[in-house]
Amino acid sequence: MRRSSGVDLVRYAVLLVGALALSGCPGPERERPGGTVIIGMRTDFGGLNPITNTGLTTDHVMKYGLFTPLIQYDEDLNPVPHLAESWEMHGDTAVTFTLRDDVRWHDGQPVTAHDVEFTFDMAKTPETASLLASAYLAPVESAQVLDERTIRFDFAYPHAQALEDFWWPPVPRHLLEGVPPAEMANAPFNRNPVGSGPYRFREWRAAQRIVFEANPDYPEGLGGPPSAQRVVFRVVPEAATRLTELLTGGVHIQLNVEPDQVQRVEQTAATELHAAPGTTLFYVGWNNQRQPFTDARVRRAMTLAIDRQQIMDALLRGHARPATSTIPPWHRYSPGTDPLPYDPDQAGRLLDDAGWLEGPDGVRRSPDGQPLRFRLMTTERALNRAIVEVIQDQLRRVGAAAQIEILEFQAMLAQHRTRDFDAVLSNWVLDNFQMASAPRSLFHSAEADVEGSANRSGVRNAELDRLIEAGAVATDDGDALDIWRQFTEVLQREQPFTFMFWMDDLSGARDVVSGFRTDERSEFVSMRDWSVQ
Amino acid sequence: MGIYIARRLLGAVPLVLGIATIIFFVVNLAPGDPTALFFQQGVPPEILEQIRRNFGLDQPLHIRYWRWMIAFFTGDFGYSFAHARPVIDIIRETLPPTLVLAGSTLVLIFVSGVVVGVLQAVRQHRPVDRVLSVVSLFFYSMPSFWLGLMLMLLFSLKAHEWGLPFALPPTGMTSVDYEFMTFGERVVDRLRHLILPVATLSLVMAAGIARYTRGQMLEVIRQDYIRTARAKGLPEGRVVMKHALRNSLLPVITLLGLYLPLLFSGSVFVEVIFSWPGMGRVIVDGIFQRDYPLVMATSFIFALVVVIGSLVADILYAVADPRIRYD
Repeated sequence: MRRSSGVDLVRYAVLLVGALALSGCPGPERERPGGTVIIGMRTDFGGLNPITNTGLTTDHVMKYGLFTPLIQYDEDLNPVPHLAESWEMHGDTAVTFTLRDDVRWHDGQPVTAHDVEFTFDMAKTPETASLLASAYLAPVESAQVLDERTIRFDFAYPHAQALEDFWWPPVPRHLLEGVPPAEMANAPFNRNPVGSGPYRFREWRAAQRIVFEANPDYPEGLGGPPSAQRVVFRVVPEAATRLTELLTGGVHIQLNVEPDQVQRVEQTAATELHAAPGTTLFYVGWNNQRQPFTDARVRRAMTLAIDRQQIMDALLRGHARPATSTIPPWHRYSPGTDPLPYDPDQAGRLLDDAGWLEGPDGVRRSPDGQPLRFRLMTTERALNRAIVEVIQDQLRRVGAAAQIEILEFQAMLAQHRTRDFDAVLSNWVLDNFQMASAPRSLFHSAEADVEGSANRSGVRNAELDRLIEAGAVATDDGDALDIWRQFTEVLQREQPFTFMFWMDDLSGARDVVSGFRTDERSEFVSMRDWSVQ
Repeated sequence: MGIYIARRLLGAVPLVLGIATIIFFVVNLAPGDPTALFFQQGVPPEILEQIRRNFGLDQPLHIRYWRWMIAFFTGDFGYSFAHARPVIDIIRETLPPTLVLAGSTLVLIFVSGVVVGVLQAVRQHRPVDRVLSVVSLFFYSMPSFWLGLMLMLLFSLKAHEWGLPFALPPTGMTSVDYEFMTFGERVVDRLRHLILPVATLSLVMAAGIARYTRGQMLEVIRQDYIRTARAKGLPEGRVVMKHALRNSLLPVITLLGLYLPLLFSGSVFVEVIFSWPGMGRVIVDGIFQRDYPLVMATSFIFALVVVIGSLVADILYAVADPRIRYD
């Protein structure tokens, strides 16, 4: 009895191994493809649907890889034709796009004006809760298909950078029209998308990897099929591990290199650091509705007392650019204003003027004896922690006592959102290149008391309001530049935030990779050209 | 025995209900918001409100609780906010890797822990015992997070730099060209990816089991029946393996139940460090993103596995030791 059961076991084992071996046997398409580019990312994608997407990396991967947006940006951030081969502006009130006739969905159907209209309508439906609509489509009133290849959009009002309202790709109507708007975010399509871009979706393994493959039919007019045969996105959450993968060749490209990893990437022979002007603004937000930051003199004094250049040099190893407003220095609307200097003496005089006089313990006090002491909160990210420590030290020298509070991101945000804070080191990431949107969100007084709005510092300033409104409707670039210059000057005087710097986008690439370039547009801007020898 | 198992199973029902309730309130009452990580920081509040409505978060907490409990126990885990797909699909994809990791570790820690423990006991106070004691204490007191990074540094990064042939892949479960490999290559590839995470998890826990086994063995070896066995002339090997080891292994079985929670909480760290595509990873991401349905379901599955595991350990104990009676 015993023997035979042992023999049975062996028999089963042999069968099992045999079955497994067969399942792994060479099939017809078993050739190893050359040209697989592997890219390491911090988090998994959400869903690959431009209408309901909520992640910035996903947004760029869709705009440069999987789909074909109506317009694209050139190196100087001017809108250029893409899916739309041409357009005609009807004054400031409408635009008509003519689409290319050679772009096809990856299932073979042509991309038509109906797809564009469907995408627009779906995004505009309130139940969809589309961030595409809130980012781009607020000033666009309606869409009207003129024929298969022509579509007209009417604007709700004349506004600046109107063509840039269309930096988004359409989704295929024939695959999504049955989905109710409130369920668009959960549509099965989002996990198995049919795109229209240079890469096709191939495979998605949760928390592990996503695989794209070259679309051999991508039109020559848009650059033709991409160089790489496959692009594999690998999800590696830990920063240290991600670096190890880059250094050992487990990934070819690593995004989100942390500043303290820069040296390692630069010193390793097989890897190269790519730094491009970034879209992430670091700032210290002062609670403009709470003492002592209700007084612009105090806020100015704080900025003057913080040595921003030293922080950029020491903690970011120079990979940052000075900031004076929400308009990055590389944008055509940037007025080139100089930031306030580092001047602790002047900071001291300003605080004296404001009535905060040196106390016996080195901490300044108001006439009624209140110490100049406040909480300065930030997240656990190592870079943020290091920055607030330097700020605390620098402010101590002018008699201001900042108490550091390190919070988990969500806990910090909950306090920030409800305006239950004194000061916060945070950042703002531009999610598009329309310069009027961030000022409106951050500084317009209409949002100053709205629960959950982005004006978390409670900024109220009639001059800023006027300029923000004027900037939003300035259809002439010269006018716009002038308005944003004045806007920046008011910000410099009022200092509702201390604008710290724009951090560069840092990525690392191995030397086997060619065609990897990054610039202010995106880390994925050259995705079509990536390849590996 | 059957009655005992039935009673234990019945007793597990309120336990599981209690766990589900606690998970619900801990997850939902933590400060934060599933819409907070959206890239567009200037999203108008009314759109966020609509997204919350689509998520079902506009309902009061007690209604959400009942809805969730009812859906949950009818097998509907809902949709993940962050992944935008059914939670059950995510579990189906990520539970197997976690079980592979935890299962391999479990086997390894008991086998190696017992071997080391026995070796130490039979060579008590000799150099072997001393060295192994120091080594196991060293690993026992090590935080697994740090140990994982060090192992990776040594066996992956440095081994690669020095051009050693055994350099291991630092993360993942398979290589990206896995689907193009032959069967043999696939097995090797999987094993190579398994070594570092399993080693990290095992070293710490095997050390504990080794110390426990050593203590048990030393106690048993002093018993009269061991002296009797030796006195009747049995070879030392048989005395140790048959008479001493069998008896000292009984309490080690109970460790199984105690180690399961450790094993799963440890695997959460290890999965994050080594980017292992398991449920622990998904929980960590889910917590940061306040992905309530996902965190609730995955934590619940972990709890369930632990409850069942402990039950199995208790039953095994009864099977192994006929003196134990459950009335």
